[in-house]
Amino acid sequence: MRTLIALVADTFQEARARWLFWGLFALSTLLILIFLFVLQIDLAAGAITFLGIETTTRRIYSIQKFVNVSYSWVSIALYVWGTFLAVFASAGLIPSVLEAGRIALLLSKPLRRTSLLLGRYVGNMLIVSLNHIYLVLGVWIILGLKTHIWAPRFLLAIPVSIFLFAVLLSVVVLVGVVSESAALSVMAPVGLSLISVLLAQHKLVIRLLGSEWSRQLWMFFYWILPKVFDLGTAMRQAILFDRHAVWLAPIWTSAAFGIIVLAGALHIFQKRDF
Amino acid sequence: MTGDFAIETYGLEKIYRSRWSAREIRAVSSVSLRVPAGVKYGLLGANGAGKTTFVKLLLTAVHPTQGEAKLFGRDAREPEARRPVGYLPENHRFPTYLTGYGMLDFYGALSGVEARERKRRIPEFLELVGLKDWAEVRIKKYSKGMLQRLGLAQALLHRPKLLILDEPTDGVDPVGRREIRRVLDGLKEQGVTVFINSHLLSEVESFCEYVAILRSGRVAVEGKISNLLAGRGYRVTASDVPAAALADIRQSGASILPADEGVTIQVTTREEANVVIDKIRAAGGEIESVAASTSSLEDLFMKTAHPDKAA
Repeated sequence: MRTLIALVADTFQEARARWLFWGLFALSTLLILIFLFVLQIDLAAGAITFLGIETTTRRIYSIQKFVNVSYSWVSIALYVWGTFLAVFASAGLIPSVLEAGRIALLLSKPLRRTSLLLGRYVGNMLIVSLNHIYLVLGVWIILGLKTHIWAPRFLLAIPVSIFLFAVLLSVVVLVGVVSESAALSVMAPVGLSLISVLLAQHKLVIRLLGSEWSRQLWMFFYWILPKVFDLGTAMRQAILFDRHAVWLAPIWTSAAFGIIVLAGALHIFQKRDF
Repeated sequence: MTGDFAIETYGLEKIYRSRWSAREIRAVSSVSLRVPAGVKYGLLGANGAGKTTFVKLLLTAVHPTQGEAKLFGRDAREPEARRPVGYLPENHRFPTYLTGYGMLDFYGALSGVEARERKRRIPEFLELVGLKDWAEVRIKKYSKGMLQRLGLAQALLHRPKLLILDEPTDGVDPVGRREIRRVLDGLKEQGVTVFINSHLLSEVESFCEYVAILRSGRVAVEGKISNLLAGRGYRVTASDVPAAALADIRQSGASILPADEGVTIQVTTREEANVVIDKIRAAGGEIESVAASTSSLEDLFMKTAHPDKAA
């Protein structure tokens, strides 16, 4: 436990020294301030007028609906913003620990290689989780104070974003362990996320694909890769109280992907010479 | 008893294979070494002889292709086997975002030293290596010599029983060298086994009691420096000596070197030389020559590591 705490603390210190920690929080603060500014110009009232909501009963219902719709889209924005920013911030933290002269000393200590890598993973997760909580809570409080409508479901953006980041961080770790390249460690999860968004359009695409094998190939990749798009959609639907939100499949397939990739990274790290 | 040895290796071998071709590099080849606990042991070899790979094999940064390594009788692959080991790597890269104090605190925690104990020991060790006033300065501002001394403090903080130093004075100025030497001399009384991997012969000659010289990944020479060094003994060159007789001679404390005619056996006294001659003749070997030896460690090194350049 002492070892894990030391490794997590070291990850924090490195993130702080490289300005990643403060950079993340500064950008999140900037986004919160932008929300504050946007709401200062009474966007909500403007939109209500623009939509022509007049009668009192209908107006209350419509404001509620409008706020929920706004919350759902803001949650998506935070989900995308927070996750990708976190991936960019984390990419260098794995290769840096594998630098020759640094890793040899770490491996000479009485700790397992898995502990070393997991320490870095947990450290990264904590940094990003703190940032996600700060960002989403900040925006939620501003929206709540302005609209007087407190939508606790908006806070779903916290666990969903953290979960997605945990999955993508496993890719960062794997690519970092194999290539020791920070650039590649960013490119891989970002590219994977974009492909995932594309694969999520399977209902439309399989109708367009001409052969059975290509349809099966599409679905194969859809099922094995993390569901970045589906998770975001499910979160948005849940915020809108939509009963059709599909959680189970995106969560377990993404979790399975993350666990397998992280296990692969640990296995390669165990076998590597430094 | 196996625990009497700080380091034991049996047929340790490392072959680096290229990922994309059939090319192989044999960095360490069938190295069997035993380093008794409490001694100062030097590992010598030319650049690329396999010294650093050997050390990395001991500390499991590199996995062996074959063979095994033990630290105080425990399989070196077990994390607990590395607990009594302090290590200062060659070309280290300590995290530059840490202060001297922070660096010792981090590596001390990884070595299993309790927080309260670290708080007590860190100022003590910073003072030992002459860096007390630099405790709160980020190590990116440290000179090479200061980094080496800090690295040494890091390796000593958990009071190891075995200290492995890979080129500890490389790139360090004479003043820094003297500081490191002072610290290492202080360990002699504490019974710490010191294993130095170096290409500085004078350093090894003056500090170590035992030495091994690696050539192309193999142990070319191994033994007590006092036996290996000339001017203090006799050199018996013999041929056709059976392996069992050589093992018997080695066990009696003599050092054995390969020679053109067969082997050269170095002993300290005339009586030992006579015993060795008797053993060789009893085993059916031929004595080629017997001479008082007059070489230095440098001669030995040149003859062993660079036989083509030896005078």
